[in-house]
Amino acid sequence: MQRNSQLASRLSLFVGVFLVLFAGFALVAWRTLDQVRVKGVLYDEIILGNDLIADILPPPQYIIESYLLTLQLVEEKDPAEITRLIERGNELRIEYENRQEHWKRTLAKDTMGDLMTVTSSRAALEFYRLRDGEFVSAIRAGDREQARRILEQMRQRYEAHRYAIVEVVALARQRNAKFETQADELIAGQTRTLSLLALGIVLVVVVMAWFARRAAATLSNRVQLVSDIADRVAQGDLTTTVPSTDDRDETGRLLNAINGMNQSLRGLVTRVKQASVELMSTATEFAATSRQQESTVQGFGASTNQIAAAVKQIAATSQELLATMEGLNAVSGQTADLAEQGQSGLSNLDSTMDRLAQAANAMAARLAAIREEAAEITGVVTTISKVADQTNLLSINAAIEAEKAGEQGLGFLVLAREIRRLADQTAVATLDIEQMVKQMQTAVSAGVMEIDRFAEEVRSGVGTVDRVGGQFGQIISQVKTLSERFDTVNHGMRSQSQGARQIGEAMGQLLDGARQTSLSLREFNAATESLRDAVTVLKQEIAKFNLGS
Amino acid sequence: MLALAFRAGDSLLALAARDIVEVLPRVPLRGLPLAPAAVIGLLPFRGTLTPVVDLTLLVAGRPSARQLGTRIIVVRIGNGSDSRLVGLQAEQVSELIDSERSATGLHLPEHAWLGEHLADQPGLPQLVDPAELLPDALRALFTEQADA
Repeated sequence: MQRNSQLASRLSLFVGVFLVLFAGFALVAWRTLDQVRVKGVLYDEIILGNDLIADILPPPQYIIESYLLTLQLVEEKDPAEITRLIERGNELRIEYENRQEHWKRTLAKDTMGDLMTVTSSRAALEFYRLRDGEFVSAIRAGDREQARRILEQMRQRYEAHRYAIVEVVALARQRNAKFETQADELIAGQTRTLSLLALGIVLVVVVMAWFARRAAATLSNRVQLVSDIADRVAQGDLTTTVPSTDDRDETGRLLNAINGMNQSLRGLVTRVKQASVELMSTATEFAATSRQQESTVQGFGASTNQIAAAVKQIAATSQELLATMEGLNAVSGQTADLAEQGQSGLSNLDSTMDRLAQAANAMAARLAAIREEAAEITGVVTTISKVADQTNLLSINAAIEAEKAGEQGLGFLVLAREIRRLADQTAVATLDIEQMVKQMQTAVSAGVMEIDRFAEEVRSGVGTVDRVGGQFGQIISQVKTLSERFDTVNHGMRSQSQGARQIGEAMGQLLDGARQTSLSLREFNAATESLRDAVTVLKQEIAKFNLGS
Repeated sequence: MLALAFRAGDSLLALAARDIVEVLPRVPLRGLPLAPAAVIGLLPFRGTLTPVVDLTLLVAGRPSARQLGTRIIVVRIGNGSDSRLVGLQAEQVSELIDSERSATGLHLPEHAWLGEHLADQPGLPQLVDPAELLPDALRALFTEQADA
């Protein structure tokens, strides 16, 4: 066996040889079985069963039962029994004819076949013809003598049939014996062939086992070597050098491949180590930069938020202001209208006031006249009351004097008393007048004061009306100018509100951008972190590799 | 009995007509600044200077109202040579009443000048006794003045 021949082809060769040998063995065994299978255990069981049936049942091809039936019929007297026996005889004949057909088809046209299908059959058919014809009619007629004569003829046929059957049996036995001998000889020959083939197979197997053992030993050594190297590489030791081999088989190639892999792995790990260091520093820079940027963006986001809020507030305020201005504009318009109405009303009021003032003056003059008259009345009344008082005093003194005069003064006393009564009444009346005049004077004084105050009020009212009229005029003109200014302010407000809203929207977009940027930076940050982690892991992993010097 | 009714403050008083010399209207008096409070001045009457006492001031503690009803009643105090004239100023001196029946009311020792009540007149006016009217000090004062 060549060293450089491949293991697979060697194994294929072994398997091919084994298959050829085994196929030969199988062919021989199959042929033997095909030829001698009649001698098997199952075959013997079937034969035994057939032999048993053949020993018990009356054979249809051997018409002994039909013959016995005819003997029975000759002696039988009971007509029912006769009918039954005749029917049985018919059944037996049909059975015989069916079997005869079978044997005619199956048996070869040799001596035994002729004996079976021609000689014995002819005698049997003659027997049945006699029985069904003359014999049965004789029996039915009750002519027993005639039946016995016919039975004698039938017996001759039966004998001829029986001799032929005996000869067939003898011939069949001879044939069976001959076949068994042939089978025995065949089995013996085939057994020898099989033994030789089995010996060859054993030899081939032994040789295969020897070669397989050798190949496995070589393979195992090489694989062990490769496995050791792979173990060391797996543990990170790349310093191992493998002795290169010239073998061209799989294991040799495997060794060379492991060697090459080891060297390229060493180069790769060295390069990865340098790269990971660079990557680490880059990742660190990345992280620092992105963090700085993130904080900047967050600050930007916060500022933008504040600005957006402020702008929103401005927009809201300006809108409110706008609404207020619109309301104010409407109100100022209404105010101008009202002021105009007020001005026209005031001019009416002015003339009314003038008339009122004139009336008040006239009334005051009349009241003054009344007061003077009342003062004159008071003077008259005072005079009257003084006179009454004097009269009273005089009458009192007169009465006192009359009292002192005693009886002579009685008449004088009555007179004095009358005078005093009149004086008292006058005094009371003047008192009443005085009272009334006083009340009148009081009322007139109050009226004069009221009129004076009213006149004063009317005068001041007229002044006020004039002033208010002037103010209304000013209000109207101011409101008119105000309305124009309102329009200007309104316009400005509207444009400001619109501008604020636009700024607000722009701020919102800016805020969204900042938020997205912040998110991206955070993701970037996370990515950088994971990159750093990955690089750290890579460094740790690479540190496991031993590159030697 | 004829009597002159008048008022001094809230009190309704009366003087018997026989005690009265004359009723005068309220006239200006010569004031007496150092005299007792009730003596309000001197009145020239029938050739003599008559001191005037304000009854309202004496009874109610306030001067008489300056009205037409306020008058001066000139009465004679004492009998014979001891007698002399005194002016009594009072309010509402304008009514003469005729009384048939008088009755004693409450007797006050310090004010003996308040005498009986006129029982048949409305308001039960109380009679004033001019002899008892003036306090002793005043009377002495008037007497000495009269002697001088």
